[in-house]
Amino acid sequence: MLNLKSIHKHLLLGDWLVLLLAALLVCLSFLSLWQNAPAAKVQISLADKVYATYSLNQAREIHVRGPLGEAVIQIAKGKARFAKSPCSSQYCVHQGWLSKAGQVAICIPNQISLALVGEAKPYDTLNY
Amino acid sequence: MRYLALLLSVLLCGCVKPPLYHSQSYVFGTLVDISIYGETDERAATLANHVQQDLQNLHRSLHAWKPASADQLSELGQVNAAFAQGRSLAVAPDLAAMLVDARQLSSLSDGLFNPAIGHLIGTWGFQRDEFSAQPIATLAIQKWQDAKPSMADIVIEGERIRSKNSAVKLDLGGYAKGYALDRAVAYLRQQGVQHALINIGGNIIAMGQHGDQPWRVGIQHPRLPNAMATLDLPDGWAIGTSGDYQRYFMLDGQRYCHIIDPRTGYPAKHMQSVTVLVPPQAVGKAGAGVLSDVASKPLFIAGVTQSEHYAHVFAIQDYLLIDDTAAAYASSSLAKKLHWLAKPAKLTTISQHAQP
Repeated sequence: MLNLKSIHKHLLLGDWLVLLLAALLVCLSFLSLWQNAPAAKVQISLADKVYATYSLNQAREIHVRGPLGEAVIQIAKGKARFAKSPCSSQYCVHQGWLSKAGQVAICIPNQISLALVGEAKPYDTLNY
Repeated sequence: MRYLALLLSVLLCGCVKPPLYHSQSYVFGTLVDISIYGETDERAATLANHVQQDLQNLHRSLHAWKPASADQLSELGQVNAAFAQGRSLAVAPDLAAMLVDARQLSSLSDGLFNPAIGHLIGTWGFQRDEFSAQPIATLAIQKWQDAKPSMADIVIEGERIRSKNSAVKLDLGGYAKGYALDRAVAYLRQQGVQHALINIGGNIIAMGQHGDQPWRVGIQHPRLPNAMATLDLPDGWAIGTSGDYQRYFMLDGQRYCHIIDPRTGYPAKHMQSVTVLVPPQAVGKAGAGVLSDVASKPLFIAGVTQSEHYAHVFAIQDYLLIDDTAAAYASSSLAKKLHWLAKPAKLTTISQHAQP
C-alpha cells in the first residue's frame, strides 16, 4: 500500500506531466470561463416579486402565468429567452437569447421580466 | 491552515450584503425600478412602496385614454372632453402648473415636442395598451394636421383652463414619466434619503451614489437585446432615451414608431434612438426628470443636423444619436463619459462650440 508521504517516489515522468497538464487545464478554464462576465443565472420576476432564479447551466422550459396568460421561458446552454408570450406586441420574444450578465428582457403587458445575473453586473439599471 | 483561513476570509468578504434595496413593479403603465442605498431594508421598502402608490395615482389621473373608473374620466380625460366642447374647467394646481411648464417646453422646441396632438397619436393607434399594425388613416391624419393643434392654443387663467382650438387633445406620454421622476426624487429627499436610483420605463434619475461608486447606467442598443454603453450618472442628473424600438409596428416592411412628427403627422423616421443626459436645473423651472423625457423628442424628430441647436435650447451638453443607418453621433462632452460595450461601426464625435 502507498501512503501519501511516499507517493512522489512512485510517480514517473508521465504522471508528473499528467498532473501538470491537469493543473494547466484548471487555470485555463478558470481564465476562459470567468471572462466577459458570462451570466450564471436567470432571475425571473413576475409583477413586483422575484418569481424564481434558475441556473443557466441546464436545458429546460419554465411556464409562468402573468396577468395576460402563460409565458414560456426557455433556458439552454448558458442562455435564456422568452420562447412564447401571450402579449400582442411580442417585443419580449423578439429580444431573443440573453447570455451576458446585466441583459434584461421585459414584457410590460404581461408583467414578466428576465434578468441575467452574474459575478459582475456592468451597471445598476438600464436606460431604454 | 493559517493561509487557508486567510484565503477564505478574503473570499467571503464578497458575501457581506451591501445595504442596497432594490424593488421592481409594474405601475404607471410600465416597469418601475427603484434602488435605495444606505437605508435599512424595512425603511427602504416602505419608501419605495409609497413612491409606487403615488405613481399609480398619478398614472390614473394623467392617463390619456383610460378612464379613472367605469363612470369617470381621468382628470386629463375631463380636460380633453372640455377642450373638444370648447368649455373651460377648473383643474388641480398641480395639473395647471404642469401644463404651463409643458407649454413653455413645447414653445422652446418649436412645437416638435407637442403634447397637444393626442388625436393624431390616437389615429396612429398608439393610444392603446395592445396595438397592432393597421392601415394608415390618411384622411384622419390630414384632418388633424389641418386643425394645427398646439400647446399655444391652451389658455391657463389661474386654475381654469380652456383651449382656443377644439382639436387640442392632451397626451402627456412624452412628459409624465419625467415628471414622475422629479416627483419621486422630491419625496425621497424630503424623507431624508440620500442615495437612490429611480428608473421609470427607461427614464432614470440619480440621487447620491451607490456606496463609494457613482450610480452606473446602461444604455440600450436600439436593435440588440444588450446595453451598448454605460456611463456614470452623478447626483441629481437624469438620462432619457427616445427610440423607435419601444412602441412601433411594422407595415409592408416599414417601421412606424410612436413618436409622431407634428410637422407631417407621420411617425419620425430618421433616427433609431436619441439619448440625452440632463444636469440638475438645466433650463427654466423644469426638473432634470422632465427634461430627460421632453428634450430627446425634438432631437429625435429634427434629425442629426439640427440636434446641436435643440440640445443647446435645452442647455444639454451630453447627447447620443443613432440614425436610421445605425451611424452613431456623440457630443464631444458625452463621448468622454461613455464606456462602450458594443461600439458602433460608425461613430462620429460632434464637436461642441463654446456656447454663449
